Amino acid sequence: MTAAPFQSVRDRLVLAALPHAVFDGWSARSLAAAARDEGLDPTMAERAFLGGPAAAVDHLVDLADRLMAEEAAGLDLDSMRVPDRVFTLLKLRFERWAPHREAIRRAMALLALPGNAAGAARITWRTADVVWRLAGDRSHDFSWYTRRATLAAVCSATLLYWLDDPSEDSADTWAFLRRRLADVGRVTRARKQAQSWLEGLPRRMPRGLRP
Amino acid sequence: MTRMTAADRIPNDPAKDELVARFLRVDQAGELGAVRIYQGQRAVLGKGRHGPLLAKMAEQERHHLETFDRQISERQVRPTLLSPLWHVAGFALGAGTALLGERAAMACTVAVEEAIDEHYAAQAEALGDDEAALKATIETFRAEELEHRDIGLANEAEKAPFYPVLSTAIKTGCRLAIWLSERV
Repeated sequence: MTAAPFQSVRDRLVLAALPHAVFDGWSARSLAAAARDEGLDPTMAERAFLGGPAAAVDHLVDLADRLMAEEAAGLDLDSMRVPDRVFTLLKLRFERWAPHREAIRRAMALLALPGNAAGAARITWRTADVVWRLAGDRSHDFSWYTRRATLAAVCSATLLYWLDDPSEDSADTWAFLRRRLADVGRVTRARKQAQSWLEGLPRRMPRGLRP
Repeated sequence: MTRMTAADRIPNDPAKDELVARFLRVDQAGELGAVRIYQGQRAVLGKGRHGPLLAKMAEQERHHLETFDRQISERQVRPTLLSPLWHVAGFALGAGTALLGERAAMACTVAVEEAIDEHYAAQAEALGDDEAALKATIETFRAEELEHRDIGLANEAEKAPFYPVLSTAIKTGCRLAIWLSERV
């Protein structure tokens, strides 16, 4: 997350585009409106986001990742268990963006288009990576990938749930997220049990077959 | 004069962080491969006359792997996606050459360690004074790998059947594995 050129202009543009995106979706039109709101040249939107609205959504998620990292710096994550760290980080992230739920729904609609599938996968992976880094992930083997893949699935599912959650203060979403993280814990425990069973297998084999 | 890592980079070369990440990624993958090669060799030759020698070299490789594992965690570098492949391929290479005989196993050691020596030398060269600790680690490991090569040569590696072919094939394979592990 190095400061790319245009970083601050891009940050300003995506934030200003949020209210427009509710009505016009993530489009060239809402980005141009955002540029006007910010007192920038209307062509600035096109120049800052060469990839069009999909690039703007990409930047929005990147901004959310950076803000989450800033917020995490003020938290005492070390004293928590790992699932609680992940839960806390994701909850803070959703709460921060709660006023813009409709704009985020429109962003999801754009990312769901087939042409944006690869970009959507990359964005989700990046967010999962940031959360794991903040949660202090120390994996140095293949679990680096499985952890991120699992968390990406949890994040996407929770985001979809959150978008349609009518409960007060999204209480149902937090329960949903808790259940998903518990599922992940169960899968991991089952895998470890299976592994230790397989490792003990040679000892339980008939004497003649033992290696 | 102090020299910084990646100070002489030209556009499109990896920046310092990416360069160090690549080094750690490929070194960890390489040591994982080495550990598995020795495991493969010991599965076949462990009870033979070279058993204690192989055990000692395997122990050193395990220490190398642990060092790079720790570095990868501390610096939060992405490990290689290909580790399951090296896990299997390393064991297959070790066990396969060991099945060809003790000399072939030593020839495999020599070929692998020569490729690793070139690779570590290039890395140590690229690291500047700001990464002195990592550079020292790599130099230490490189010296140990050269020791393994000499052990291989002292144990008649060059008398292995088809030594030139075997050696070239293994070295080419190692270079390919290095190239892949830096990137994937």
